Amino acid sequence: MTQDARVQEFVTSFNALRSEVEKVIVGHREIITHVLFGMFAGGHVLLEGVPGLGKTLLIKTLAEGLELKFSRIQFTPDLMPADIIGTNIIVEDAEGRKHFQFQYGPIFANILLADEINRATPKTQSALLEGMQEGSVTVGGASRPLPPPFFVLATQNPIEMEGTYPLPEAQLDRFLFKLRVRYPALEELNAIIDRTTHATSASVHRVMSGPNVMSFRELIREVPVATHVRDLASMIVMATHPEWDRSPEPARRFVRYGASPRGAQALILGAKVRALAEGRYNVSVDDLKTLAAPALRHRIILNFEGEAEAVDIDALIHDIVQSAETLVGQAKEPFLR
Amino acid sequence: MSLETLVRRIATQVRWRRAEHYAVRGLFYGALAGVLLLALKFFLGPWALTAAGISVVVGLLAGAAWGATKRVPLADAARLADRHYGLQDRVTTALEWSARADRTSMVDSLVADATARVAALAPRQVIERQWPREARWLPLPLLGVLVLLVTPPIPLPSGRLLDLSPSSESEETRDRPEAGTLEQEKRPLPRTAVKTPSFEERDYMQRGMTGAGATAGDLSAVFKDTSLANQRPDFNSFLKKGDERLKMLEQVDRLPDLQSDFTASQYKMVFKKSKALTGGLRPDQISPQKLKELLEEMERLGRKGGGNVGSEVSEGMEALEYGQQDRALDAMEKALNKLRAMEEQQRSGKNLRGGRESERGRGSDRDRGRSGGGGADDQDFGEGEGLLPGKGKSPNPKGEASQRLRASPYDVGVEGESRQGRKDGYDTNMTGRSGKMPSRLGYLGVIGQYRKQMEDTLAREQVPRDFHGQIRDYFQSLDER
Repeated sequence: MTQDARVQEFVTSFNALRSEVEKVIVGHREIITHVLFGMFAGGHVLLEGVPGLGKTLLIKTLAEGLELKFSRIQFTPDLMPADIIGTNIIVEDAEGRKHFQFQYGPIFANILLADEINRATPKTQSALLEGMQEGSVTVGGASRPLPPPFFVLATQNPIEMEGTYPLPEAQLDRFLFKLRVRYPALEELNAIIDRTTHATSASVHRVMSGPNVMSFRELIREVPVATHVRDLASMIVMATHPEWDRSPEPARRFVRYGASPRGAQALILGAKVRALAEGRYNVSVDDLKTLAAPALRHRIILNFEGEAEAVDIDALIHDIVQSAETLVGQAKEPFLR
Repeated sequence: MSLETLVRRIATQVRWRRAEHYAVRGLFYGALAGVLLLALKFFLGPWALTAAGISVVVGLLAGAAWGATKRVPLADAARLADRHYGLQDRVTTALEWSARADRTSMVDSLVADATARVAALAPRQVIERQWPREARWLPLPLLGVLVLLVTPPIPLPSGRLLDLSPSSESEETRDRPEAGTLEQEKRPLPRTAVKTPSFEERDYMQRGMTGAGATAGDLSAVFKDTSLANQRPDFNSFLKKGDERLKMLEQVDRLPDLQSDFTASQYKMVFKKSKALTGGLRPDQISPQKLKELLEEMERLGRKGGGNVGSEVSEGMEALEYGQQDRALDAMEKALNKLRAMEEQQRSGKNLRGGRESERGRGSDRDRGRSGGGGADDQDFGEGEGLLPGKGKSPNPKGEASQRLRASPYDVGVEGESRQGRKDGYDTNMTGRSGKMPSRLGYLGVIGQYRKQMEDTLAREQVPRDFHGQIRDYFQSLDER
């Protein structure tokens, strides 16, 4: 199969999967698209929003559209790490001999829905760290690989809500994107009512298998990135650091910690998926601008002043991107330089 | 159209725009130079026109040449092509990656895609013209050049500069005839004709009316002099009064003491002086001279107030002559007591509050209070009389108003020590003169009332609970006495 054909296959599969999800989920096209970007980029996605906006339904529907093993964990304050990872239990064989046997936890799946992840304690939240980064878990000194593709989709309620524990920075950094699920518009709400209150419900067809997903992940990494685009991505990430001498004034004023190198990786990988999903063979500056907020909003930690002034992190990222464009000379006609 | 052709076309467009941009800048500065040259037409003659023309043309051409020959990086041109044709960085990425060794098969697809898209493009001017800041002001120097071309040469001022240094009077008189008529009108009058005011001309003669009661050296008289208000304005007199007052201000020792408390009585002042003289010193350390002066002042006060402290003062003087300072101090103490009694009597006569005789003197005790100088301190009340509320001869049902704290110079205090007994208690004694006076209240008659008030206070006021027991113990110890 030629490269063009592979790209066309990806575009077709991507659009088909999105269409299947949109059969159930009304609106939220951008959220669905970004979730798919995250999945094909090989990362994990965190969805944040108040209860009732369809976060869990979106992920369940996506799992139905994929021929992958799906697992769901409802995070509660009394959930323990062993409840996620699994544990060794004593079993007795036919001959009456007792031995330890590993009881696999729900993390051993292709798509893991960590529902309301911030209702569990940070100790339990951190049980996912190794699996999300390394693709394996270690129990009782034995490392056990997770089945590829391994994709964590987590939902969380806003931190202002009661009974929530903030995710540790290390845990947040392992999510490729953080998406904010907003309220549907009036027309979307009408459509939701129509679809969910009738006797018949939409059925979702499986359009993609696990090997397909892995193949597309490899394809995506071949997308070339021009030097000035890569420089812009690096400049955006550097500009989030308040201590950097060329960072813009809002970052210096409101940011305590900037994005990590994982932020730059997320930016470029997401941009590659976006480019390929649009049938393009290269990453553009527009891809970076579009994905800057989902890739960086959970990696920028505001300082006290930023929290006190309720700085909108998306607006801050917008300022940072503009400043980075100026720094790399994107915003100025070259013949005046 | 291939990718390279597109990029070269964009680069050419950039060069043209640059040439325009810098040509305008060059024209602006060339025109400025032309204005300068034409301004010097008076000196340069016909060469000024030629030089101005050359500067304008050279500025224009030099700017254009600079812009046209400036290097245009192909990467920049490719990015401009991507931006202006909406190619989403395809051209830039394709050109960059096609030359790399680690190119993947997707790069071939990219190049093919970019080439196909570029081939479909219609060549057009995509680089917009950008005017420099100088373009806004370009008409000004150009207009200046045109105006100066048709106007005659401007003669520049010649000769020496104006001498602004101070000149002598002879130079003024020499230059004056050369000046215009206006200057002659403004010429100042000769200095000798001006009569300047002199302090020597003031009239220091004193007016007859202003001297009412005023004698030389009498400061208070000068300050009290208000007769000026009734007279016609007389500037010389005003100056004279002012000078006199200023001179007096220089004599600090003769100025009235405006800071002292004149509300205090003379007796209190004498008392303070005696305290200041004797405070903390043994009798042999006190200055006899100052003690003598104080005794003399007491005698003066006694005479003025109608009292008789002459005997005490004489006794003190005599003691001082013999060097018996302790005896002199005793005499001073007696004189002080007499003076105090005298003042009390005066205050009572004026119905002033605080006078000890003011209320008491209505009854038969008046004579007792007057007798013996310090007799007011020695009087006593009978049982059931005095300041007990509701008792005594006072018409005030709540009893007599007590002396204000520290209203008297005689300090009153309480001293005490803990007492070990069936219950711990405190023995207290009053100090000062009050301690020497007999109690005016029946002890057993009031202790019950006081205990009741104590209980009420504990119930009403926010007394710390930890102190309640201690307070009750104290009153219990009073009962046991």
